[in-house]
Amino acid sequence: MPVRTALAVVAGKATGSLSRLTGRGGGTTFPGDVARYVDPQVLRRLARDLKGGAVIVTGTNGKTTTSRLVHAVLEGIPARVVANRAGANLIYGATAAAIAVAGVDGRLRADWGVFEIDEATLPAAVDEIQPRAVLVLNLFRDQLDRYGELELMARTIQRALEQLPEQSVAVLNADDPRIGELGSHLRRKPLWFGLDDRGAGAQSLPHAADARTCPRCGATLVFDAVYVGHDGEYRCPNGDFARPALDIAGRHLRLEGLDWLGLNLDGQIVEARLGGTYNAYNVTAAYAVGRALGLEPAYIAERLKTVAAAFGRQERFEATGRRFTILLAKNPTGFNSVLRDSIELARGKRYLIALNDRIADGTDVSWIWDVDFELLKPSVQIVVPSGDRAHDLAVRLKYAGVKAEAPQADLGRALDRLLELTPEGEHAFLLCTYTAMLDLRALLVRRGWLRPYWST
Amino acid sequence: MTTFTVGWLYPDLMNIYGDRGNILTLVERARWRGFSANVMELGKGVHHGLEDVDVFFFGGGQDREQALVYDDLLELKAEPLTRALAGGAALLAVCGGYQLLGHYYQTAQGERFPGLGLLDLHTEAGARRCIGNVVVDVSGLGLEPSTLIGFENHSGRTFLGPQLTPLGRVMAGSGNNGEDGTEGVAAGNIFGTYLHGSLLPKNPHLADHITTAALQRRGVRSLPVLDDALELEAHRRVRDRELAGRR
Ligand SMILES: [Zn+2]
Repeated sequence: MPVRTALAVVAGKATGSLSRLTGRGGGTTFPGDVARYVDPQVLRRLARDLKGGAVIVTGTNGKTTTSRLVHAVLEGIPARVVANRAGANLIYGATAAAIAVAGVDGRLRADWGVFEIDEATLPAAVDEIQPRAVLVLNLFRDQLDRYGELELMARTIQRALEQLPEQSVAVLNADDPRIGELGSHLRRKPLWFGLDDRGAGAQSLPHAADARTCPRCGATLVFDAVYVGHDGEYRCPNGDFARPALDIAGRHLRLEGLDWLGLNLDGQIVEARLGGTYNAYNVTAAYAVGRALGLEPAYIAERLKTVAAAFGRQERFEATGRRFTILLAKNPTGFNSVLRDSIELARGKRYLIALNDRIADGTDVSWIWDVDFELLKPSVQIVVPSGDRAHDLAVRLKYAGVKAEAPQADLGRALDRLLELTPEGEHAFLLCTYTAMLDLRALLVRRGWLRPYWST
Repeated sequence: MTTFTVGWLYPDLMNIYGDRGNILTLVERARWRGFSANVMELGKGVHHGLEDVDVFFFGGGQDREQALVYDDLLELKAEPLTRALAGGAALLAVCGGYQLLGHYYQTAQGERFPGLGLLDLHTEAGARRCIGNVVVDVSGLGLEPSTLIGFENHSGRTFLGPQLTPLGRVMAGSGNNGEDGTEGVAAGNIFGTYLHGSLLPKNPHLADHITTAALQRRGVRSLPVLDDALELEAHRRVRDRELAGRR
């Protein structure tokens, strides 16, 4: 073990405790920056200590929740599992996570790693971590201003998967046309998962869908079922491209409220304390990873039951005699999912919607015009637009025909307004983009309604 | 007044930047004014009734999608579109759609792809991508407020011929090419711009300017006034924030 790696670990750890002590939040990635400065190879060396191996989870939506599911599956082996924190999904975040569980001797105290990794970072992460499995969840329109276009992203992912070690496996969502295409060019066959329940799907694509055409001949794809965004059962009318045959198929999907779902995964009944069709994908994906690693179906199902929604993704709390649910949405597909689920599965009528345009949210807010806010029109009673771009959101709601409160950029004031308008005993939904969710959560912690996330 | 019609070119392929916002703005504002309004979706293939369109909208696409519409545009749309514009219809083209109005697009390798040739402008591939919020001074158009705001995301650099007037001058952001301070083009009833970020919702004065231009031929001289307080407040906030950031 090179002394340099041990030094990097010590330096990183010191940074982490310092930033927690000074109250600078979870201290989730700064230790990674410092450690990599001391030893650029620190993550590569630490990852080698994982006796079981590592799983990398990537894709536009669902990384955090699915990583938690995979974490639970591995932990029950039993095993010591290292994982990066939600949102800290660049190489620094993964490094920080490894350092946190490394000893001052520079050795990693974990058997397995689960790393959620941003799509653009995948090639570097695969190179350094040398994972046993890479899970690709979906590729939706997201923050084009940061990364360039989706086709480019698909090529980046394909390049990373080509670099996987010989005994590793790519676990891919067959229902996403772009992933279906990139996976069919890989030298080694991936493990394909998807949903197979036409009754649960829609028959037409939402406006936000953007993988509409055949990658081979350009014809408009035919969808026999659409489950989330442009994920579903697709085929080219010219017969040169179709959804790959599923190795793991999710059937008989049942949804109840925002925190329960059940499905049949190739004969194994699986239930989870998560709601909505998009979580059916996350559960199916985590199950597929377990199967790819050779774990037993009944065991995986048992472990998947233990997981509740990730921090800020679908968090519930009670305060001032009212019930609240925080819903995170970062892009049109995610937003459509949480809007539809909160309305259809939880009869949502009161909302605070917070839109920010900071780097982590994407600085271009034009995507709100691809969200079907029109869904709110029939049943919603209160919408308070908030966040740095509250006024843009208010304009969007106006053109959707949704009657909203005056925009209130300040989250605290927006929350107060929501409280005024929500009678005791009622349920309100707090829909946020990423940094708005962090700000809102910090506010709720200050009010004593929630615990800080690094202590949960 | 019969029906106000928006013709949306390639809605399924050229729509990456929230272009639906531009369509919704044109249509809803017409309805709020008591017109009936509809959208004619002009996907690939032959369409009839283009002469009924008042405002055409042509948005941006990803490279692959843009390649898919290219032949269809030149073979099936160029001729009826040109005829409709000559008849007084208006056109708003954004980003990729804007580039296709010109003579050609030249790649980094020097290869040239011809455009519609409706306007004397051309585009060259640039090395740097221009990304961010934009504020444009459009006092030349006589609009109130005298600014446009939007978001740009393009690597192409567009240059206008000597006879063309830009839509406005950049106060923040890059605009046409990052060199000459111009942004977009305004040539009679044809408007081109790099501003997406859903241009029209936050620039209702431009939406009305384009609508008015298109309705001239129907004898409409001015439009009933709408309450735009919300839209203009959103406009003002972004403008002030972006301009403050430059000083
Ligand atoms: Zn095909």
